[in-house]
Amino acid sequence: MTAPLTILEVKGLTKSYGAVRAVDSVDLHIDRGEILGLIGPNGSGKSTFFDCTTGLAEPDTGKVLLEGTEITNWPLNRIAREGRMLRSFQKTVVFKQLDVEENLVIAGQMFAFPSVASTFSFGRAARDRVAGLRRHARELIELTGLGHVAHMPAGNLSGGQQKLIQFASMLMPDPRLIMLDEPMAGINPKLIERVVDTIQYANREMGVSFLVIEHNIDVVTNLCSRAIVLDQGRKLCEGTPAEVIANKDVREAYLGG
Amino acid sequence: MNLTEPYQSDGARGVQPLRLVLVLGLALVALCAPLVLGTYAVHAAVIAMIFLLPAHGLNLLVGYTGMLSLAQAAFFGLGAYTSALMSIHLGTSFPVNFAGAALMAAIVAVPLGIPALRLRTTSFVMCTLGFVIIGQAISKNWISVTRGDMGLSNIDKPTFRLLGASVEVAGPVQTYYLALAIGALATGVFWLLVRSPAGRNLVAIRENETLAESLGVPTWKYRLAAFVIAAAFAGAGGSLYVHYISVASPLMFQTIYTTTMLIIVLGGGAGSITGVVFGAFLFVGLSEGLRVTPELRMIAYGLCLLLLVFKFPKGFAPLLQKLWDRAGGITRKEGSA
Repeated sequence: MTAPLTILEVKGLTKSYGAVRAVDSVDLHIDRGEILGLIGPNGSGKSTFFDCTTGLAEPDTGKVLLEGTEITNWPLNRIAREGRMLRSFQKTVVFKQLDVEENLVIAGQMFAFPSVASTFSFGRAARDRVAGLRRHARELIELTGLGHVAHMPAGNLSGGQQKLIQFASMLMPDPRLIMLDEPMAGINPKLIERVVDTIQYANREMGVSFLVIEHNIDVVTNLCSRAIVLDQGRKLCEGTPAEVIANKDVREAYLGG
Repeated sequence: MNLTEPYQSDGARGVQPLRLVLVLGLALVALCAPLVLGTYAVHAAVIAMIFLLPAHGLNLLVGYTGMLSLAQAAFFGLGAYTSALMSIHLGTSFPVNFAGAALMAAIVAVPLGIPALRLRTTSFVMCTLGFVIIGQAISKNWISVTRGDMGLSNIDKPTFRLLGASVEVAGPVQTYYLALAIGALATGVFWLLVRSPAGRNLVAIRENETLAESLGVPTWKYRLAAFVIAAAFAGAGGSLYVHYISVASPLMFQTIYTTTMLIIVLGGGAGSITGVVFGAFLFVGLSEGLRVTPELRMIAYGLCLLLLVFKFPKGFAPLLQKLWDRAGGITRKEGSA
């Protein structure tokens, strides 16, 4: 049963690595326009859950539905391209030797061209499409405040700036849903605010829904309307950030459960 | 590595006079060289331009997509045999054989690429090396078709037929102009290819395959496409080669062909078109030039390569880029290199 309100629905997702049940029949749904937080101690299965929903890993059992379409076991590239559901990585990755603008143009290409074959053309139509992507890329570069480094190789920029590049890249294809794996990890506190602003802007103005794995509880409180806590592969509780923080089990899980 | 050549906007607007002089000068040199050079030097230049074709293909794999393939020599040999057999049995003219060789290499690359591209890094390299060895084994043992170690000889010089008239391109000087035309055309096609959106996706795969996947790029399809296109370039080179030297034999699968292609690309500068063009002339020229001391030739060649690795670990591409920047009056704030 998929209510039209729900953008992503995960049912009974389970994934084991050997004898370890990394994710144990987790259910989750994200409403359209929502920013959902996913929290939990290290090793609680958040990243495995992420990988299984986004196609980087195959779940053992369970279903993933994106706007009612089953996307379980679709490869990563297809989920991104056809589902317009994009994900980031815990360890920030950018195309290091390419400049910021090229990073963003690449991010948009598979959405602007209808097929693999059409990307091999170098005619006027292809050039126009790329020019359109370049314009869009410049807008997003301005939005994320990377204008002054737009033509620097991405690998030369700071960790925080690389996070912003990654984030801007995910906005290139007009996404429906963005999954962020610890977007604030290891970045300069000054940049945290900018990342939060950008997420909120994308949510409000572009209608993008989010699932955010985050350890920084202030960020979660600030950003998310609802949060889910995972512990040892299971869903521990669910509620508003305030409710979740107040929950006794959650405190135990974090402090020594 | 300075592999960003195709995507840097260099900020210069309009035609730079010094650059124009440089380009026109090089074109003039290329056009007039056979009038000045001796026969042997012209021959070396022809060989260089022939090797440029498989080298472009290899550059697409190594420099742009980030996959080291040794199979280019196998497709070069396949193209040579295809062209030779077409010419012998069908009596077709050079353009038909040339296209046939490229097409055959591309077709064969599909079933070879599908399993090979499941492998990564060193396993992939070893697998592609296997293709060369298989190619050699077939050429030696399928005697009814290839005549084994005797090879196919007396293959026609490149022949063009138009409206009943037949023109044969014979001798080094004529072949030089044919090879120059084909080399220039291939370089132009390659330039367009790497600047197309697909070329950008290949670079994305080289830089970070998982990230490219996550942005919707079906990386496996692109890697297969690159493998097939590279094979087509190699097959085309093999065709021109066989019609020039007029013999196809299992010797074409020897290691020296593979290493020559590798040295051209890595020494010239993987990921750089100008670097590879420069590399083709430099390394084929060096190898041929050292024939003045036949006994020491390979030792001297090896020493030159060692020197290169220490002096220019990234090949000549960064040097050429600097020269080009200077000609355009640009001082680049160096970022990556």
